[in-house]
Amino acid sequence: MSDRKGLFKNPRVIIFILILLGSIVAIHPGYTPGEGTTSNLNFGLDLEGGSWLQIKLEGALAQIDADSGKLVSGIVEPIIGAPIEITKNDLDVGGSADKSITFTTSASVSASQLESLGTVSVDKLSGNKTQVIISSASKEALIQAYLSKALDAEIVPMSTQDGMVYEIRTAVTEEQLETLLEKVGCSIHKNEDGTSTYKEGVSSETRDLTRDILNDKLNSMGLKDIPVRTVGEDYILIDFAGIDLATAKEIAEKPGKFEIRIQTTGNETEHVLYGDSIVGVGIPSFHDEQWHTPFTLNEEGARTLQKIALETGAIDNPDAHYLNMYLDEVKIYGAPLSLSAASKLREGPIYSWEASTGTDEAAKTEATALQVHLRAGALPVNVVLVGSGHVDAGLGAQFKTAALVTGLISLLAVAVVVFFRYRRPEILIPMVGTSTSEVIMLLGVASLIGWQLDLASIAGIIAAIGTGIDHLVIITDEVLYEGKLPPTKVFKSRIAKAFIIILGAASTNIIALSPLVVMGFGSLRGFAITTIIGVLIGVIIARPVYGIVIKELLHTDESENVGMTE
Amino acid sequence: MATGLTELLDNFVKNHDNRQLLALPLAVLAVALVVLLVSFVSSGSPVILGMEFQGGTQISVETTDSPAVLEKMYSSYPITDARQTGSRVIMQFGVMGDEQQRQLEKDVMSRYSNVEIRQVGPIYGRDLQVQALQALVISFIGMAIVVFLLFRSLVPSGAVILSAFSDIVIATAFMRVAGIELSLGTLAALLMLIGYSVDSDILLTNRVIKRRGAVEEKVSRAMHTGITMTTTTLAALAVMYVVSTFSYLVIPSFTQITLLSQISIVLIAGLFADIMNTWLLNTGILRWYVMKPEFRGRYNR
Repeated sequence: MSDRKGLFKNPRVIIFILILLGSIVAIHPGYTPGEGTTSNLNFGLDLEGGSWLQIKLEGALAQIDADSGKLVSGIVEPIIGAPIEITKNDLDVGGSADKSITFTTSASVSASQLESLGTVSVDKLSGNKTQVIISSASKEALIQAYLSKALDAEIVPMSTQDGMVYEIRTAVTEEQLETLLEKVGCSIHKNEDGTSTYKEGVSSETRDLTRDILNDKLNSMGLKDIPVRTVGEDYILIDFAGIDLATAKEIAEKPGKFEIRIQTTGNETEHVLYGDSIVGVGIPSFHDEQWHTPFTLNEEGARTLQKIALETGAIDNPDAHYLNMYLDEVKIYGAPLSLSAASKLREGPIYSWEASTGTDEAAKTEATALQVHLRAGALPVNVVLVGSGHVDAGLGAQFKTAALVTGLISLLAVAVVVFFRYRRPEILIPMVGTSTSEVIMLLGVASLIGWQLDLASIAGIIAAIGTGIDHLVIITDEVLYEGKLPPTKVFKSRIAKAFIIILGAASTNIIALSPLVVMGFGSLRGFAITTIIGVLIGVIIARPVYGIVIKELLHTDESENVGMTE
Repeated sequence: MATGLTELLDNFVKNHDNRQLLALPLAVLAVALVVLLVSFVSSGSPVILGMEFQGGTQISVETTDSPAVLEKMYSSYPITDARQTGSRVIMQFGVMGDEQQRQLEKDVMSRYSNVEIRQVGPIYGRDLQVQALQALVISFIGMAIVVFLLFRSLVPSGAVILSAFSDIVIATAFMRVAGIELSLGTLAALLMLIGYSVDSDILLTNRVIKRRGAVEEKVSRAMHTGITMTTTTLAALAVMYVVSTFSYLVIPSFTQITLLSQISIVLIAGLFADIMNTWLLNTGILRWYVMKPEFRGRYNR
């Protein structure tokens, strides 16, 4: 019997007990009369109630082969409406020196028409000819300008190891892109093995930026603790605990693509700037009998706005040229330039602006909403909703109870089977005890790392109970190979043999579920991670202790000459 | 139960030669493959793809209305199916536009309580199909590599891998025949099966190849352990299935948990297949291999 006390001196047993106690502390179970049980465990949306949204970022990445001459003709001819003849072109020459391209044409050209391509200078030559020199030009800028105009989207050139990759921030198929490029003598670059460099999606930087902006946005609305995370390459998943689906959609879809357009003639509008030109947004304030939302434009934005206001004539007649703000193509605000702003614009660009909304309470609300839109509205890419879900809180509570009952009865059923197989409480109690402690440790880990237990994780826990018991059966049968406990030396090698089998089995379990951890299946990650952590806890901490305990317990039995019942 | 099954199986294995052992599992595997093939040819997919893989919306509500009533009420939406499970009705809808979707959600939420909604866009559904297939293949290859590293011998590892393959195929064919859709839950079950089903095969192979003793004896002992393992797991899964599927009949406040119900039923089917494949298919191949004359009884003493 002295051996049994020795059990508590075994380091493995001590560690086991410490971790078990630590897990109970981490879970911190409690019971408050009237409120029911409490714990540190976090439950997922499907057990707590709430909704989730999964969104996809629309865009494409491609490398592009271009012939700069054809590219320039392709871009310039439609603008000026006449053929051009290129007389000098050093865009394809290496080096980073100031590059330029020169062409002549019979049509008359104004420098502002071609401004997006580089620094333009126009000279009248003899005989009706016009010579145009575009300096500070580059192939990348030309491609960017062309695609941006053709697709009405932002194009971002990114230099990578493989060369310049263009990120097209709107949905475009490979065929559409190819057709567009063909018109200007360009094509999508092929890899050496002949595969296309076209790829649907956006760069991981852009994806992470979008995620961060969404995070900021939800936080600024006072919705803390709403996890926004990227899933797979192109998806973002947002969990809204305790918020119903309709509200979640409203919240999430508000951040979108922000754009300011100006009315040209009648109902026609022209693009002025996107949300990325807005560098600061102030707090709405009431002055001059009106609610105002202040915002600041960057250099480029301010200059563009001034230029377009001049071009369209908004400065002379503000009321015919409203400035409209759009979020995801939906107009959210529209107002004319104030007279003072119009006259100031004549002198130079204005950086600090104020959008006035009116005098009443509704105007105050509008000003506040505008503040949020202006601040975080600038998602770099378009997003589409690809999946969503919702569980009522009441239903979640039902799930939680049912899942708990399922887990308990499963454990009981396993105990019954084990008892009928061995018919010995000295085996049954340590076995069920080990299995229970594995579950407690698993839950302990879950509360420590703040893991959200959802239904899939519960399934993972039950699966972990299953594999756990399997491995304990292997240890037991290995130890009792001859039907009774072997001498200590043989016992040690038996345990070692049992562990070879257990480790083999555990590694196949882990390997088989690891794709789920990496891939973007959302809810199934919980299942896979829970099962894998469960298997690890079992193999590293709990099962070796079971081997030690069972040896001591059976040892006392053997000396009392109780045989194996088989 | 476990003991009775073990005796029965043990006697069967002892009294039949290797070829006879292989006959049944190979026949079942062949039938399963035919089921999947016919399904693939006739419907373009070996399994019934659930909403998550096709796109659409599934809405489940607590109601005393019959499915027919709900189907009629929502007939202006692309409703494809409505069925009763306990005190709930689950409705399936095809793909619809954002506005319509929103309207439907609002209507359902204002009318019913304890609502569950799941919606997947068709693009993401297609993405998931590809990923599901990738996950299955990667998982299987990973398992095969581990098994091969464990035994470093072609035939014994091959037997384990074949047996696991057969488990998956039979479980998948079972899903097709029983009308269980491939959902994220059943996909997880299939992946789990890949890891789970080789446990008893690893036990068997380890005992037979790496231990001294008569082959018959080693197989028989491995079987005692292995069947116990599988029955404990089956017991846990059977409870999980029954509680998640039928508990509401006894306790009205409970509800069906589809995810757990699906995971457990597929695993149960797979584990029954596993009993057959481990103790007939794998045992048959392994017994033939270790008794080959060139080993001169190396594994049988």
